[in-house]
Amino acid sequence: MTQFSEDELKAKVQDGYVVESVEEMTEGYRKALIVQLTVQADTELMSAPAYWMAARHAPSTNTQVSAHAIIQDELAHANIAYRLLEDLGESKEHLVYGRQPHEFKHPYGFDQPLENWAELVVANGFFDRAGITLLSDVYRNTSYGPLKRALVKVDMEETFHLRHGEVWMGRLAKAGGEAREILQRAVDWMFPMTVEWFGLPDAMKRHSGQLDYRLKGLTNDQLRQVWMASTVPLCEQLGLDAPAHWDEERNEYVLDFPFPCRYDDAAKRWLFDEGEISWDQVFERWKARGPMNATYVESVQRSRETVGRWLNGGAA
Amino acid sequence: MAERRRRVSVDAGLPPHVSTHKSGGRDQWSAPLAASPVDADAAALELLGEVLDPEIPISLVELGLVYGVEVRDGVAEVRLTYTATACPCMEFIREDVTDRLERERWIRAVRLVEVWDPPWTAERITPEGRRKLRGLGVGA
Repeated sequence: MTQFSEDELKAKVQDGYVVESVEEMTEGYRKALIVQLTVQADTELMSAPAYWMAARHAPSTNTQVSAHAIIQDELAHANIAYRLLEDLGESKEHLVYGRQPHEFKHPYGFDQPLENWAELVVANGFFDRAGITLLSDVYRNTSYGPLKRALVKVDMEETFHLRHGEVWMGRLAKAGGEAREILQRAVDWMFPMTVEWFGLPDAMKRHSGQLDYRLKGLTNDQLRQVWMASTVPLCEQLGLDAPAHWDEERNEYVLDFPFPCRYDDAAKRWLFDEGEISWDQVFERWKARGPMNATYVESVQRSRETVGRWLNGGAA
Repeated sequence: MAERRRRVSVDAGLPPHVSTHKSGGRDQWSAPLAASPVDADAAALELLGEVLDPEIPISLVELGLVYGVEVRDGVAEVRLTYTATACPCMEFIREDVTDRLERERWIRAVRLVEVWDPPWTAERITPEGRRKLRGLGVGA
């Protein structure tokens, strides 16, 4: 089926070759792209129920419209990525409706409950920023043409989500008192959550097929730095404590907490006192999924069957 | 240290094809005019040509959202609409239009008049706006 060997294709994409169809792919390329797109699609999809839960706490109908517009964007972004997966031979129907909750590949952060307006806007400010950090790197570097074109719209819409997050974080910070406290509490659990999202440090990272096939350009640590380079100054501007600082000697942002570390999801608290844990322990936690995993997946899947039954005249 | 910090933009990591999220395109707004313009209405409209839509990096004028501007005694009255009555970006657009015009010394206040009749349709997008949208992969 393919016209290239693995090594030939890797060399070609490093030279700027753009892959347009499945016929040009090697099996390795196709598999690496499927993994990348599945994570992307699942992340967009699962952000929708997470944001939906928090959007109920919108302070006005206008702000609720904005929050729902963000949710609609996320669902559309998920649809784009699942649609691209269909070109690679995957079934959107199965991916969205046929999988068990623990089989989804979104980050652990989107298995957490967002329980108030502050948590929604920090999710826009932090999680959506992580999304745009990752996806704009993919946009700039991907060797897969259809994905690059699809990301133009996705990235533009994500900038609106970021602005929504930043504007509202600014308002809550400025209000002081309880608003500021609840905002800081959201930052306290969501900052380390996003830092962890970028995954295994480069020094421990096994070989990356995504870099070989030029499906992305930056490494995990580089992407984590890009995210911190905009997030830490934002928190500083708003007078919020963020557990990271710029290190002059190392010429990079450095974390002020043991990384990685344990997370108490019931208390929404990182257990900094218990010190560093291994990445195997993190992977175990991710694999077990977080407290809202089943609820969120079920909220996406549940009406499919019910409405399907109605449409089929009540036949099971 | 402050010098080193500045090296890293708050917008680091955002793709170059989108305006920054601070936005309305404010990172690229021109400096305030040195003197009061002879034709204040035309000058104000031109300045609004620098204000970008919060999502898509084309200007509100190119998008056909600005119905008119009149400057009287330093008060700029902007007649504008939105692409939908429940546009989620209304608040950002109001802020961006006001901020851009209030930068000017010859404008002391901005009054926004929201117009729903005639309603906005894609027909109102200018040819230049249409060309830019196509370049961004957005059909209109």
